[in-house]
Amino acid sequence: MNDPCQISDEDFQKFREFFYRKTGILFEDSKRYFVDKRLLERMEATGSESFRAYFTMLRFQASGTELQALINVMTVNETYFFREEYQFECLVNSLLEELVARRTDTATPIRIWSVPSSSGEEPYGIAIYLLEHWPHINRLDVEIISSDIDTDILTQARRGLYSPRAVQHLPPNLLKKYFKRVGELYQVDDNLREAVQFTRANVTDPTDMRLHRHIDVIFCRNLLIYFDDLSRKRTAESFYDALNPGGFICLGHSESMSRISSLFRVRKFPEAIVYQKPWEAR
Amino acid sequence: MGLKKAHDTPSASENERRLPRDLPGLLDALADPDPMARRWAARDLAPYPEASHALVERLSIETEPSVTEVILTSLTLIGDEVAVAGLTECLRSEDAMLRNSAIEAMKQLPDEVAPWMGRLLEDPDPDVRIFAVDVLESLRHPKVEDWLIRVITQDAHINVCATAVDLLGEVGSERAKPALFALKQRFAEEPYIQFAADLALKRIDTD
Repeated sequence: MNDPCQISDEDFQKFREFFYRKTGILFEDSKRYFVDKRLLERMEATGSESFRAYFTMLRFQASGTELQALINVMTVNETYFFREEYQFECLVNSLLEELVARRTDTATPIRIWSVPSSSGEEPYGIAIYLLEHWPHINRLDVEIISSDIDTDILTQARRGLYSPRAVQHLPPNLLKKYFKRVGELYQVDDNLREAVQFTRANVTDPTDMRLHRHIDVIFCRNLLIYFDDLSRKRTAESFYDALNPGGFICLGHSESMSRISSLFRVRKFPEAIVYQKPWEAR
Repeated sequence: MGLKKAHDTPSASENERRLPRDLPGLLDALADPDPMARRWAARDLAPYPEASHALVERLSIETEPSVTEVILTSLTLIGDEVAVAGLTECLRSEDAMLRNSAIEAMKQLPDEVAPWMGRLLEDPDPDVRIFAVDVLESLRHPKVEDWLIRVITQDAHINVCATAVDLLGEVGSERAKPALFALKQRFAEEPYIQFAADLALKRIDTD
């Protein structure tokens, strides 16, 4: 007889299919330990006596709070400031230059969307990079929106508190300029925290994606690698509609849009390869 | 000027979403002159299995590749008999992008495509049979090897057999060996078949 506090192979399969349908995230067999550990944690936290009892609650709970709590522990949130900095260089040296050169409407802000936000290192990093390295920031408005499926991590991102490890790649002068010490931690200054808009979004859910429109540059790094082929494709198609014509997508260094969708053009800039919605796209 | 907080996340404009988002409204929007409206309609129709007919019909006349991609994704998500039939019809298309996208979509639907595979592998058009073998290339289905063995045993067209034997080199087991030897005999004068069958046999022996 199965131990009620263990996850059987059948339980794992059932859970994996359910979680995939809800989030687009597919756990391979190699992630079994990772998944089991977190499921058992949530079973204990909710007082569930068996996987069956927990799964029933997960599926049928009207508020959906346990599903959200589970999503929060299942999603990976590890990043640091100025990770893959060459893409920020590409943003200020190439992408924004091209977008600005072709703009006829200077009143509309340039919109940058960073997804997933994780704990905020990427969107705040983009903001710092623009302020430090993009000369047009003094004459053009830029909006930075950042989204994540994990509501706990969004709260953390809004708070903007970081360990020394998260800020270790920032030059000391920038650390001094944009952060304040809070005990052992560093907090992003209030102006930057005020400048970034954080939203909850599941990129595989068309309803959530419909709320994110008229974007000029999307940073979506190291997220699609967790998805299966179909979810990657759906996400790429939603990004296509979220972008303005000529808008760019920056993926992680090991990811390639060419393997996901033919909707975008590959653009090779000196700093990075990125993907562009054609200017003539409708 | 500078960083500015986006207080209101802009959603679709009135013009982009002027039709109701229920099934009749979405079906109407599928014929909208604006490709963006058609893309959103096709995307929003994915939860409606009863829309698969309309999506398949639209696929046959759609000219905008970005809409075609979304229709194919929604048909994959619906995955019913009508949707799979629509995808299989795309294998006859002259449009390489549509054909390849349909092949990719079919690979996502192993159980749904399986009942069609026998018919596709016996299609009178050898190109369709080749594309069916292409679908098998990454179809996660236990019968893949059986289908390939059947192709190299029965198909008279050398290009169909060549495509299948290439794939058998990847997925073949001991069971495929008699069919591979028979294929070599059947196409004894064809150097490529000899080469590909020998390679497949070698790989099977190595495994």
